[in-house]
Amino acid sequence: MTLPRRFLCVIIDERLCPVELAGMALDGGARMVQLRRKTASGLELYEWAVRIQELCRQRDAIFIVNDRIDIALAMHADGVHLGQEDLPASAARSLLGPDAIIGVSVSSVAEAQQASLDGANYIGVGHIFPTFSKEKLTPPLGTESISQIGKAAGLPVVAIGGIGSGNVLDVIKAGASGIAVISAVSGADNPTEATRDLVNRIWQ
Amino acid sequence: MVVSCGAEHISHCGLALRQAEVLARSGPVIFQLREKGLEAGAVNSLCSQLAPIIKASGSLFMVNERFDIALASGANGVHLPESSCPADSVRKASQGLIAGQSVHSTATAIRAAMAGIDYLLFGPVFTTPSKMAFGPPQGLDALDEVCRSVSIPVFAVGGITPEKAFACIENGAYGIAALGPFIDIASLPDTVNRFQSFISS
Repeated sequence: MTLPRRFLCVIIDERLCPVELAGMALDGGARMVQLRRKTASGLELYEWAVRIQELCRQRDAIFIVNDRIDIALAMHADGVHLGQEDLPASAARSLLGPDAIIGVSVSSVAEAQQASLDGANYIGVGHIFPTFSKEKLTPPLGTESISQIGKAAGLPVVAIGGIGSGNVLDVIKAGASGIAVISAVSGADNPTEATRDLVNRIWQ
Repeated sequence: MVVSCGAEHISHCGLALRQAEVLARSGPVIFQLREKGLEAGAVNSLCSQLAPIIKASGSLFMVNERFDIALASGANGVHLPESSCPADSVRKASQGLIAGQSVHSTATAIRAAMAGIDYLLFGPVFTTPSKMAFGPPQGLDALDEVCRSVSIPVFAVGGITPEKAFACIENGAYGIAALGPFIDIASLPDTVNRFQSFISS
């Protein structure tokens, strides 16, 4: 699989039914869906992942599992997204093979270069703006970090953190290939419309 | 005998390593690492340290649930909780690994055996604080029923002491699994010997 040129990645978190939310995000034009539910059992994750992967195949979108390479292997996901506290991308690459999409969250040039050496396909860079999704101990990186970190790693950047309709185009103009959102979609009254609005702005 | 180690915090990693080093001299056992609360990267680092020590002693090293970590760290296998990825999908995706599973009923024991699981942990047989989440003790009769229902080895778990281990074997168990009795490093070789003597008496 290859990454689209410009795309929206919707991260499925603890809100709503994961399969329902994935369907709404895909209806709105998301090209990537990431399943990240830290509190779920392995069985729950597996069952959601099987159904979301099927939805993504129907729409030619990419489905990736956060952290759980075991789940991705068991249900043949398109790929995984790994944080700095997860298994290294090199382990994911050798387990999932050359065709899997592997993303790594980074917040510095050094982490980005390591991700590149480890065989990642893209880097998640953030948080770009202030965000309330997670308690952040570090200041926002700002849009200038996107090209700086991306160029150092030689990998496409998926920007994350505090991105919404008001600033999404700035992030694309700063050099991001993809935009990852959590609350901008899962916390919206109408997740499908929220996704469509962001996708339209990406292509403005 | 399954020696379960719960590394629920980074400070417990040292305990797991010390247990492994002592067991390397008193084994062979199945050493199972339960790592709830640790991030996957930390678990993988710990497992990569444990695997060579445990395997060199002739014991088997099993990682709880995460067969990706079992594969990456060179462990012998994966131990699945009852609410894990379906066992048949794990079997297909983790070729070369041994797979055990925890079960709490005869029905799930039969399902696991049919899916190709190599051995089972059944319990809680007796009362135990660490297994309260899995309900009241199931007793020796339930253990006997599970052991008669499947042809793969069944290890009894939950409140097992050396003295109670023999009753589990009499009721069809292949061996026993425990966590609490093995935490005290100073008495670990003696504890293992006492369990072994009751299991094989």
